[in-house]
Parts: sequence; structure tokens; C-alpha cells
Amino acid sequence: MTATLIAILSLTVFGVPIALAVDRRARGPLLVGTAFLYGSGTMYFVLLGLSIAHIRWTLISVTIAALVIFCAAFAVRSKTSSRETGKTTPHAFDLLTLFTIFCYVLYATLAKVWEWDFWAIWGLKARTFLEIGGIDWHFLESRWNTFAHPDYPLLVPLNYDFVALVNGGWNDRWLALLGVASAVALALVARALAARETTPFFAALLTMLVAALGFSRYVGLAEGALIAFGGAGVLFVRAALLDDADACWRHGALMLGFAANCKNEGLALLVAVTIAVIVSAPSRLRKLIPAYILAAPWLILRAVHTLPTDIVQGSFLSRLLERLPYAHQILAYLAEQLAKPWFWVAILAAILIAPAAARRRERFVFLVTAIQFFFYVTAYLATPNNVRWHVISSWSRLTTHLAVPIAFAVFLMLANSLRGSQDAPHAEDARPVVPAGSDE
Amino acid sequence: MILRRALTIASLAAIVVIGVESRMLLLPFIDRGPSEQAMATVSDRVWPDYPRFLEGVREHTSPGDTIAIIVPAMRWEAGYSYAFYRASYFLTGREVLPLLTPHDERLPQNYRAAKYIAVFGVGLRAPADVVWRSGRGALLRLRQQ
Repeated sequence: MTATLIAILSLTVFGVPIALAVDRRARGPLLVGTAFLYGSGTMYFVLLGLSIAHIRWTLISVTIAALVIFCAAFAVRSKTSSRETGKTTPHAFDLLTLFTIFCYVLYATLAKVWEWDFWAIWGLKARTFLEIGGIDWHFLESRWNTFAHPDYPLLVPLNYDFVALVNGGWNDRWLALLGVASAVALALVARALAARETTPFFAALLTMLVAALGFSRYVGLAEGALIAFGGAGVLFVRAALLDDADACWRHGALMLGFAANCKNEGLALLVAVTIAVIVSAPSRLRKLIPAYILAAPWLILRAVHTLPTDIVQGSFLSRLLERLPYAHQILAYLAEQLAKPWFWVAILAAILIAPAAARRRERFVFLVTAIQFFFYVTAYLATPNNVRWHVISSWSRLTTHLAVPIAFAVFLMLANSLRGSQDAPHAEDARPVVPAGSDE
Repeated sequence: MILRRALTIASLAAIVVIGVESRMLLLPFIDRGPSEQAMATVSDRVWPDYPRFLEGVREHTSPGDTIAIIVPAMRWEAGYSYAFYRASYFLTGREVLPLLTPHDERLPQNYRAAKYIAVFGVGLRAPADVVWRSGRGALLRLRQQ
């Protein structure tokens, strides 16, 4: 356990100058939350880079590479001004959030990671790579290992490898704490962003909700990291679209780039956000360039190594067309298999109840959610697997990817309407602490 | 106006209450022993001694070795997929070769190509040397014919 905690702390410390290089005035929950996420995401690139350079992973080689990045980020950070953002006012409700997180820690650490997909995919890759101190392309290219989904991006397995390097060997007993750390990081980001738009009471309540939704019950899988990076990415882009603050654009793009390195669904999320930005503010699309840059290396590597993607094997289009007439049945089955259906009913009801101006304000998040949902349904329609099996084995996980951003947006719509300012065009009451574009 | 406010409060409360996994909030106040036991054994509930066998196989083989797995369930969905995937996890660094495809087609070439055969829960009549044996399993090295 100590090694995992040290690894989490190391990732956070590693991420602090990176977070400050991205957002020079980040402080408080915003700084801590983004620091862990940047540390985790950058550590993935450190291990990926060493592997490509054929430098064996050791604690020393990884530390040296990380220190170089740390110092470079620190140098950028040191040029900053002292004005701060991201500070929040604590509220008694924050204690409930802490209690919620404590409960999730208890759940995640009941036993060593038990999920089938951990030891057949995410943990398996990490443990395999650790054996040779680098990415084992022979393993990924082997036709006997297609069950491990060789095309899946490697951020999570390589984070596990970092923990193993700190530990001095493989130990899957406490790896689930990384997932908890991701959820905590997302909650801290949400706390900071919510504090800009609502009262400390509502911000604290929303943080508890985000902490709960951000914690993946699928312990050891990449869902936790994807929810954190993807959720943070969408929330930052949402804030950027509302305020046009450059720091939020940078955070959003980088988080989405890391999300694309967690799972293929993260890549789909990047496409969904791209489409939503084109619809909402086409001139801002170039702000997402960092996300594409971060997503590119793995896409190139998997193409170079011709790693197969099961969903597009055979004729994707013919399967899609064949099942299209049965789309209503598949949608009905998805509704039947929906996890927490009343949560989604409450979300839909809230969208209907909210003032029209509030709905317009949140159209970006609604659009991203709808596009991502469309991608998921399309994947089910075109799956080479049995549709029922595919839905049962994945749908409840996929819906967790969508929950945080939409819950955040809907919660703020409702909370701010209760404050009495939502009957008017209420975008005005949501001015950020930092004036638009003033961080340059 | 009052109705909308009431509905808003109700929706907000519903989202928070349903969104927070209430059962997990009970964890600090219940005996977690049964849950710990259940989670610790959930992966291997059919063959609880299989992981220990695989750890033994790992100790008696070297990185780079090829190992094929034989278990009582020699059908993919009936347990072979579990046996193969589980072996892949415990035997990282070695190459675990399946003897079946997901469509239950036999792969005799993998049997011939493997340096070792890890046999669990069944006997194997083949010209082979026993490298290591424990409980219900044995690690065999096929003799060249």
C-alpha cells in the first residue's frame, strides 16, 4: 500500500509544475486535482518515450526522464505572476465528500483487484511490459493475445507499471487506489470550476455528486482514468466556451488528449468534443490542437504495428446496415440494461424543468453527451460480437463515461435557477474569477 | 413559479441521492469480512486452487518459455477461456499458447510447439517428463518423438 501511495504522491508532485505551466494561477483544489492528472498523463508519455527509445524502464531511468520534464515545466512556471485562481471556500458538505471518498477507498481495496478485464487486459499488459522493462510489441502483435485488445491505448497499464517500479515489483493488491485518486482529482477540478459559478453550498454538494459518479465500480479497469480525464476535459472546454479563458482551453485540450490515451472511447470523446466545438464555436477549434497532438503517438504506433481493432474487423458497414432495421430493438434493450435508470430519468426531467436560457447555455455538454451516446449505439449496431453479450458486458460501464459532465451541467442549471437568477438570461451571473482571456 | 421551484428542488435531490451509490456509504458500518472474502475469490470461484498452481508453474519456468494449458473444461466458453486468460496473467514473460480457438477448434500445432504443458485437474497420457507436481496440477515437458 505504501508504494502505491508514494506513487500517487509522486505523480501529484510531478504534475504540479506542469499544471502551473498550463495555468499559471492555478491554486487550491484546481492545482491539486490537475497536478495528479497531469502527473499521471505525463508519466504515461515518459514510459512510452523510454520504450520507443529502447531505454529499459527502471526507477532510475524513469526518475531522470521525469526530472527533466519537471525542471522544464518548473522553468516555465517560474515566469508567472502571483494572482491566483481555483481557490474555493470550504463548506461543511465537503466533509460528506471526504466520507464518500473514504467509503470508495474501502470498496476499492476490499481485495486485490478482482475484475476479469483487469487481469485479462489492463493488468495483464502492465505485468507483461514490466517483465521486459518496456512495451512488449511481440505480445501485442501475437494473434493469441487479441483477447487483451492490443489496440487499446496504454495510459493505465503504464501507470500501473510506474507503481510497480516504485514498489520494486508487481503487486496488484493496492493498484485500485489509482482509480480512487483519479476520482478525487476529478472531484477537485469540479469543485474549483463549480465554485466559479455557484455558491459554496451548491459547489460542495456538486463535488460530492461528482466524486460519487467519478468513482468507477469497475476497479482496475481504465474507466476510472477515462472518466477523470474525459470528465475534466469536457468541463474545462465547457468553461472555456462560456468564458473564453485560455487556461481552460489548454486544460481542456490536454485532458482530452490524455483521455484519448486511456481507451478508444476517449478517442471517440475527443471526436465528439471536436464536433460539438465546431457546432458551438467553430473559430475555437484550433484550441483543441494539443489534444490531437497527444492522441497522435498511440494512433501512429498502433498503425505501425498493425494492432487489430475488433469493432472494425470484417465489414463494419455491412453489419451496421444489417442491424439498422433492428435499431429500435437494440435501443429498447439498452434502456432495459441501463444502470441507474432513475438517475437518467432525473437528468432528463431536470433538463425539461430548467429554464430555456439555461438549456441553451449548456448545449455544448448536451451535444457532447448525445454524440458520444450515438457513437456507442453505432458500435453496438456494428459489433462483430453478439449484440446482447456486448451490451450486457459493457453498457453499464459506458454510461458512467457520460455521467459526470451532464450531471455537472444539469446540477448547475438547477442550482442557479434556485438562486433566482436563472429566469433571466443567466450567463451573466457566471462570470469567472478571472476575466476572459486575461491570463495571457 | 412555486411548482417549478418545487420540481427543481425535487430533481436536484433526486440526482444527488440516486447519483451517490448509497450502498457503498454503508461500508464503514458493516462487517466487510464476507465482502472481502467474496471479492478475493470471485475470479477463481470454480477452481480456487488454480492461481496457486499457476504461481508454481511460474516458479518452475523461465521468461521466454512457451506453455500450453490443459484443464478439465476443454471448451472455450465452458472454462477454457478463463484458464487461458488467467494463465496469461500469472505467467507473464512466458508465452502461453491456447489449445483451442474461441470457436472450439483444436490447435494441435500449439501443443507441439509448447516447451511445457501445464495440466490442471486432469491426467495426460503422453510421453512427457514431470517437471513439477502439486495438488491437482503438474508441469510436464514433452519428450521429443
